[in-house]
Amino acid sequence: MRDSGRARVVLAVLLLTAFTLITLDYRSGSGGPLRRVANAVFGPIENAVGDVARPIGSFFSSLGHLSSYKSDNAKLRKEVAALRSQLRLTDADRARLDAEEKLLHLDQIAQFRIVAAHVSAVGGSLDFESTATIDVGSRDGIAPDMTVIDGDGLVGKTLSVGPTTTTVLLANDVQFSAGARLESSQLIGHVDGGGRGPMTFTLLDSQGTVKVGTRLVTFGDIGQRPFVPEVPIGRITRVVPTPGALTRTAEVAPYVGFDSLDVVGVVVSAPRTIKRDSLLPPSPSPTPSTPPPSSPPSTPPATPGKSPSPSPSRSG
Amino acid sequence: MRRGVLAGVVLLTALLLQAGVVNPLDLPVGHPDLLVLCVVALALVAGPTWGTVLGFTVGLAADVLPPADHALGRLAMAYALVGYAAGLLEDLEERSVVTTVVVVAVASGAVVLVFAGVGALLGDARVNATSVADSLIATILYDVILAPFVVPLVSGAARRAEPVTTY
Repeated sequence: MRDSGRARVVLAVLLLTAFTLITLDYRSGSGGPLRRVANAVFGPIENAVGDVARPIGSFFSSLGHLSSYKSDNAKLRKEVAALRSQLRLTDADRARLDAEEKLLHLDQIAQFRIVAAHVSAVGGSLDFESTATIDVGSRDGIAPDMTVIDGDGLVGKTLSVGPTTTTVLLANDVQFSAGARLESSQLIGHVDGGGRGPMTFTLLDSQGTVKVGTRLVTFGDIGQRPFVPEVPIGRITRVVPTPGALTRTAEVAPYVGFDSLDVVGVVVSAPRTIKRDSLLPPSPSPTPSTPPPSSPPSTPPATPGKSPSPSPSRSG
Repeated sequence: MRRGVLAGVVLLTALLLQAGVVNPLDLPVGHPDLLVLCVVALALVAGPTWGTVLGFTVGLAADVLPPADHALGRLAMAYALVGYAAGLLEDLEERSVVTTVVVVAVASGAVVLVFAGVGALLGDARVNATSVADSLIATILYDVILAPFVVPLVSGAARRAEPVTTY
């Protein structure tokens, strides 16, 4: 009996402490001082664990995907053969494009300065959050509110930064939101992560038309923080009917596979003007496969429908 | 004080494994929660006082460990309560695999609900019906699967280690 009496007192004290911490931290938002200390302390340990665990984890996850790897492999071999035959044609086109670009002084498509990083841990907090830790930090020039991308498109933005690690808010988190623009147009809106549900795009124009299959890129922010412009986000898969609303809503299939993030890049600086739609791959014609309806697909390494041109935003 | 050291090692390992190995796995619906398994296993041996202290400590560490992004103290509160409740069952006479599994299932559900409940009070946008349902199903299911393996292991090790002090 003595033990449970003492236990109750201890429990009450600890609950009060937790409540106080919640109240204090609630106001400071992401990136408070305690989190920065935690980043500094736990970051290197997590990086080490990530380095060890990554091959083990990818071995186990690859076991589940073996059959799809085989079919992907066969598909890729066919694509490579087809592309090789196309190369002869595009060489001539490329030469003409080079000459035209020189004329118009378009010698830089986009030059992002990127710091490459590995994802060393993924946040769950009982699967409510969609965040990740990457193994670069303030020593590498990272600051909060920077865009994080990978070869496929927009991954998220940086939240809090320690000396060697950074917390990234992924684009499929419920609290994520970014300005977005429909390709080949000036219609803008914002993209919001849907957590376990689909990502949504809200067009800030009730008269604009949103078509299934249209691709979205980021619409940059002032000072390009947190988002630089022209980063591919995803593709519209379904327009949600919202009669009488001031905005239009659509579901988006993101290009990035959030379940299989490994190498990402943090954009530390971007040029002031980037040619519109320049980072999207040339539009495939016609669209080879109907996109899946609601949930964002976890894209296999070679996304069907993307042309072979290397994305200029991939770091070395 | 070997039991205290063991508890510290177990909980730190669970924290790092959860963030570095378990969460990146591409499992359907959600992921298991190693922390609740370890807290329950340790509390069943150590009693309610130590159960709640261990729960609070590991919850606070989970709140602070990157890449967590919510108000500090929410997980601390949830795990402290679960640690206390599991510790009350310290003197349970017949402890079979079934009772262990039931305790783990209830504890997993309680952790999710307390965390989500406080989040809802704070107006956390991430807490909604689907996310709570998904988290409940996944955490309870995966923890129940892991319980028969992890809990006896940790409890057994804790029992064999020297007790901290006897109250």
